[in-house]
Amino acid sequence: MWIYEKKLQYPAKVSKPDLRMAKYLITQYGGPDGELSAALRYLNQRYSMPTNVTKAILTDIGTEEMAHLEIIATLVYKLTKGASAEEMERAGLGGHYADHDNALYYVDATGNPWTATYIQAKGDPVADLHEDMAAEEKARATYQWLIDLTDDPDLIDTLNFLRVREIVHFQRFGEALDLVQEYQNSKHIF
Amino acid sequence: MHREQLELLKRIQALEFTATEFNLYLDTHPGDQRAFIDFSNTVRELEQQKELYTRNYGPLIVDDTARQPCWNWIDDPWPWEIEY
Amino acid sequence: MNDMNPIMLRLAQAYVPFQTYVNRWDPMKALMMGTIFPELYRPYDGRDRRRD
Repeated sequence: MWIYEKKLQYPAKVSKPDLRMAKYLITQYGGPDGELSAALRYLNQRYSMPTNVTKAILTDIGTEEMAHLEIIATLVYKLTKGASAEEMERAGLGGHYADHDNALYYVDATGNPWTATYIQAKGDPVADLHEDMAAEEKARATYQWLIDLTDDPDLIDTLNFLRVREIVHFQRFGEALDLVQEYQNSKHIF
Repeated sequence: MHREQLELLKRIQALEFTATEFNLYLDTHPGDQRAFIDFSNTVRELEQQKELYTRNYGPLIVDDTARQPCWNWIDDPWPWEIEY
Repeated sequence: MNDMNPIMLRLAQAYVPFQTYVNRWDPMKALMMGTIFPELYRPYDGRDRRRD
């Protein structure tokens, strides 16, 4: 089970409301390489993992991704705070306003809703860990493109934090992959 | 939120983050005794700081509310409302 | 696996070198950097580097 802690993992802040950036950043909320995809992918794959190391690392990184989801939500909340219908429309968020007002929703940068087809569980630990490592790299790249799209130093600060987390997670999944391969190879002596 | 409360909150965030980093490292290096000792020391300090925060400013997890004078779990600010 | 021998590596299999814990940043610095491990920190220089 999970217990909610009434605090963010990172002191996320923005310099000013910015609807244009909110429209792009939302992809890390509900996009293909976003934090929801990451959390649900890892927390689901753990049930078919063969070793305690892989069960643990998917549980713990999946849990951290939930904290990142909350950071992204907070950033979008702060970027869109107090925006009027007219301002939303001018930023290309008229469609979002019609469907959701200022509420958050799991969509990518062009408004496509989150779908389970973003994630896979193959039941093969090597294949699944490769997907997880690729997911971390895709999320790292997304954070870089988002950093390129803004001049807000406070927003960049938080995006940099999240970007480095992807690198650390890649390392841990890579170590887990090494151990799974060692485990599988030791079971099949030719 | 007052400056002292914000600073204590950031201190807790830093310690908890350090514990998370050791947690992930130890998942793939369960035999690293030095990392385990550093993890344990970090968590001990984190627990002290959380207790200090809860006593002065309110609960961080719902169970903390049992040692509060009233049901202040619902009080603001919620995490996304805090201005750092 | 901790001291990975290159001769033992198998074809058609990916490997990530195992990290060895040497030193760490203090908690506040680590939070700002996004990791406690200096050797895992990779800065991003931003858009300028991509325009060549």
